[in-house]
Amino acid sequence: MPIDLALELLTQSLAAWRVAGSIRSEAGGVIVICGSHKDIRIARVPDDLMFRWIVTIEGRKRGAISLVAVLRQVREALDPGYAGSRVRLAVNPLVPSP
Amino acid sequence: MSAGVISVSVLTGFLGSGKTTMLGYLLRQPEFSRTAVIINEFGEIGLDHELIEASEDSVIELATGCLCCKVSTDLAQTLQGLLQRLDEGTATPFDRIVIETSGLADPAPILHTLMTDSGLAGRLVLGGVVTTIDAMTGACTLEREEVSQKQVAIADRIVLTKLDLAGAAEPELRRRLAALNAGAPVLRANRGRVDAPILFGTDFRDKQTTSLKVHSWLAEDGQGQSHARHDADIKTYAVVRGEPIRAVTLTLFLETLAEHCGADLLRLKGIVNLVESPDRPAVIHGVQHVFHAPAWLERWPSDDRRSRIVFITRRIPQHWIEVLLDAIGAEVNDVTH
Repeated sequence: MPIDLALELLTQSLAAWRVAGSIRSEAGGVIVICGSHKDIRIARVPDDLMFRWIVTIEGRKRGAISLVAVLRQVREALDPGYAGSRVRLAVNPLVPSP
Repeated sequence: MSAGVISVSVLTGFLGSGKTTMLGYLLRQPEFSRTAVIINEFGEIGLDHELIEASEDSVIELATGCLCCKVSTDLAQTLQGLLQRLDEGTATPFDRIVIETSGLADPAPILHTLMTDSGLAGRLVLGGVVTTIDAMTGACTLEREEVSQKQVAIADRIVLTKLDLAGAAEPELRRRLAALNAGAPVLRANRGRVDAPILFGTDFRDKQTTSLKVHSWLAEDGQGQSHARHDADIKTYAVVRGEPIRAVTLTLFLETLAEHCGADLLRLKGIVNLVESPDRPAVIHGVQHVFHAPAWLERWPSDDRRSRIVFITRRIPQHWIEVLLDAIGAEVNDVTH
């Protein structure tokens, strides 16, 4: 996926969450977010690894298997009032029974 | 009721409380076979009319805005048009009308129009107000949304829905309902199935059992006051996609919405074209953080096979929703190709 789309998603996410912060992209497809006195670096990793993204928050690196996981880590870091509803949906088949 | 006088019932209830599901069930019952339906949706793309199986010319969609805000013109004109078509023999014969309001509608001005419009007098009679309330989230909704209180207070019948999810919440909800409207019988619906004959009786409204507060609302609306009914933060919009969506994309998308939006996602409903099921669209419903498992239609209800998901939200930008779906879809495509 284009890194610009991930950048746009993170930019719009900060706005949607009403969280203050700046966001920019750097060489090598790295996205940097500054907010709540924290620097967050989000980098793509090669496709052959388990994690598609590495999120570095104040020097601590964590893997993220998807953009959804990246969003969760970023919001947890920037939004102290965040308590997400960890709803899971896929207990039923994703496609209709024949 | 005089011969030729048609009963008009109002079906109301807050967003996601199960109005359309129950109406869909009722319209499949023999005693509701001669029913005309007016559906009002607060959204740019109406879906409810596609989710109800009824003869096409007996369902009218009012998509011009919330019914309560345009009630003196749109509703009255629609009803007059229906009666004219009935008189001319160009409409499927009906002897009952059901108006399904939008979830955000204040029912008071709707009743006011039905009771006072001179063009309708003598032809129509108010058959009753039925209010659906979600047994699981209803207590919180009543706490937060004034319009939900109005919908309950003005009801002739209250129908508890989603009882399979309610758990211990039902007794507290019943206490709240009794405080708002002790006179209305509280019925229970099981996935929309409800005792049809007693739901929309033709009895007139018993003002003795209706809260005095309701009459003050009716009076207020009769004077043209209080038209800023909707919370300014509440927005409705539709996300439309022409390309089929992968099932895992939809799942991740809905999970993310539930996780990040919580109670600000007032309502979501949609019809989705999935890659894995091109001929049987998925119908999705969500209220706040609660999403139901998709229902599968036997076939597309029209030639329009685009995915259309309607959102009613509080302070959630549409652009974020759009980008979220696109980004998740792109990532899923990366993984699956």
